[in-house]
Amino acid sequence: MPVVGVTSNTVPWELLRAAGFDPVLLSPRRRYTPLADRYMEDVFSARVKAIFDFLLSSEAAALSAVIIPRTSEQEHKLYLYLREVVRQGNSQSPPVPILYNLLHARSAEAEAYGLARTHDLKSTLEQLTGRAVEPDALATAIAEGNAARQAIRGLLQQREGPAPRLSGTEALALIGAWYFMDRVEYTTLAQEALLEIQTRAPIQGPRILIKGSLQDTPDFCAAIEAHGAIVVAEDDWWGSRAAGLDIDATIDPMRAIFDKYYFDAPSPRVFSGEIADAWFHRKATEVDGVIVYLPEEDDVIGWDYPRLRDYLNERAIPHLMVRKESSASIAAFIERLSNG
Amino acid sequence: MAEKQLECTVRAAAYQKAWFAELREDVFEKQKPYAIVQADMPLELFHAMDVPVVSNQWWAAMVSAKRLAPYYLDNLNALGYHDGLCRYCSLSLASTLASTLAGNPTQAAPWGGLPKPALLSARLTCDCIQRVFEIWAAKLGAPFVPLDAPGASELPPRWWELSRHRWSELFESHRLDFMVAQFHSLIGTLERITGSTFNFERLRTLMEGVNQQELYFEEVREMICKAPKAPVRMHEQVSNVMAAQWLRGSDWAIAHARAFRDEVKKRVDAGVAACPSERVRLMWVGAGLWHDTDFYTAFEERYGAVFVWSMYLAFGPDGYIRYGLDDPLRALASRTVSFNEQLHNPPWANEWIVEQAKAHRIDAALVLEPLGTRPSATGNLFIERALEAAGVPVLPIAADMVDARGWNGLEMRQKVGHFLERI
Repeated sequence: MPVVGVTSNTVPWELLRAAGFDPVLLSPRRRYTPLADRYMEDVFSARVKAIFDFLLSSEAAALSAVIIPRTSEQEHKLYLYLREVVRQGNSQSPPVPILYNLLHARSAEAEAYGLARTHDLKSTLEQLTGRAVEPDALATAIAEGNAARQAIRGLLQQREGPAPRLSGTEALALIGAWYFMDRVEYTTLAQEALLEIQTRAPIQGPRILIKGSLQDTPDFCAAIEAHGAIVVAEDDWWGSRAAGLDIDATIDPMRAIFDKYYFDAPSPRVFSGEIADAWFHRKATEVDGVIVYLPEEDDVIGWDYPRLRDYLNERAIPHLMVRKESSASIAAFIERLSNG
Repeated sequence: MAEKQLECTVRAAAYQKAWFAELREDVFEKQKPYAIVQADMPLELFHAMDVPVVSNQWWAAMVSAKRLAPYYLDNLNALGYHDGLCRYCSLSLASTLASTLAGNPTQAAPWGGLPKPALLSARLTCDCIQRVFEIWAAKLGAPFVPLDAPGASELPPRWWELSRHRWSELFESHRLDFMVAQFHSLIGTLERITGSTFNFERLRTLMEGVNQQELYFEEVREMICKAPKAPVRMHEQVSNVMAAQWLRGSDWAIAHARAFRDEVKKRVDAGVAACPSERVRLMWVGAGLWHDTDFYTAFEERYGAVFVWSMYLAFGPDGYIRYGLDDPLRALASRTVSFNEQLHNPPWANEWIVEQAKAHRIDAALVLEPLGTRPSATGNLFIERALEAAGVPVLPIAADMVDARGWNGLEMRQKVGHFLERI
């Protein structure tokens, strides 16, 4: 099965799968990015720069294409940069870049536009494979994706309530795996993990919600949990919000797939702020404390922070904002929470 | 501040000041609506409804030129917005937030400060601007109307050769359709605010006026390219062009563009140079350094180095002119859909800037690397590499357009001096 790379959660896995591709999230770990550094300024996040570097390297030859959604401005620019490097003939034929113009403002115009672009993506995939995406294949892919979502929700239940059994460090690894695996296989393994976790004793410690930059590694969770807390949720697309709701299997599959990724997928471009904040508002009332993580490369969530801080203050929910992972203030914050 | 060599420049500044005073009077005393918008918005829609607009970037430049940015930005940081956030697009917001501080002299804001608008509007290019405008709108108690911005996937070369007559080939039709649909929503909001009906004929007339205005600017650009020495300094180009661009298509803007053209032509005909000792022609790539505009004349006396080019004049003809106005809304959409991207992103920016450098006989380029406005910093490496490949030496200038905090003018002048000595 040909492999296609995707750069975010908002590329419809089901559509790629039904088209006969094996979708995989690009999440390379790179300390150095010499190929990207030639073209990409330091203002890009380490994640996007690493993806660009990977795509310009010979390692990317395994990919048939890379699908980049209009889910963040950095990804939009990643697409333009990739196109320009190819145009200038400065790279050894990286995978075909495909822009998926999914918008995130909630308006009738953006919704209609996004649905049409989802149909365009289907056509593009059909051109790549030379065969039509059949309704049965879509139905099967939706069922596979939903089963995996259900398995993730099962794991997430073990993070809820007063006595969670699954640490954030483990949860991020367990949930994040679904972006890289066959989802049928993922479902089986996640269910096995769930059975094992259910036999565990509850984990003690203040329950923490993380808000801020994407937690695509367990490192920050581990830094928090090292101080005796338990991270029970993250407000981003890697952890708690990776699965969301099922895709509606009772309506037109293309409409259902679009609805899922338009209405139920976190993105920095979701507008309005009220819609973007809704999940955080609900979750913040279920935890003992909130840690807002805004690393030096943040230039987006920092705009939300004073508003979120005010929301937490109004409800007397303890919170802390940090800009570095290993912060002494984290230890002090957790100690305060532990001491009631 | 460097002398103003053109009468037009003095008139443009005076007109802007009077225009803003009238706007304040209309808003406060006659309750007339006005709008605060991003610079890349289709201002013509507002003008066609007699809704004046204040551009976020223009106001930020004003605040910066009045040396108020450090105070406002310090206050923004004190409110919890960290210092890594964009400054150019948020300085005007910061001025609004600061106005509520106890003891803050709001009179210190340029020209009395911004009154409450009837609406705010922005095209959602970067991921921060929706946030900046949403916060601002909430603070001002006015609605925010966003225009979402899909990306381009058709990227034909040499966009400026298609933009005037063949713009429908330059942009995907679905992007134009989408922008037109959003325009209709925006027009609906403007109609509700004004109680008037949108007049498409008036929009067409305005756009014809814009075309005329930009043709005058094109004549100036040509004169700068061809005259033995630059007849007008870059900073005065910017003052004259932008005063007209914010009011583009209006009788005053067209007349001012014509007067600017005439005055520059007179100087060329008389052999007058902005800097008679011109030996090195410089290009400034990026937004203006609004807190230190004297920087642009600092290298004339010692090095004979004159800034002759910035995007502000040069982009006018290539970026704005649209022929084929049967459907003026669609033509306007074609200017809006990639407006900012053409100035800052590959392939548009690097290709166009190299073309401009050649036409203007540029000897060296200074490229702004914005410290505090990250989305504007993209595309620079492509631009720098392209210029160098075309034989134009490049000096990156790490600075913020509006934030003087951290700017060491003396040190930067020395750095540029060393660069000029090397080339």
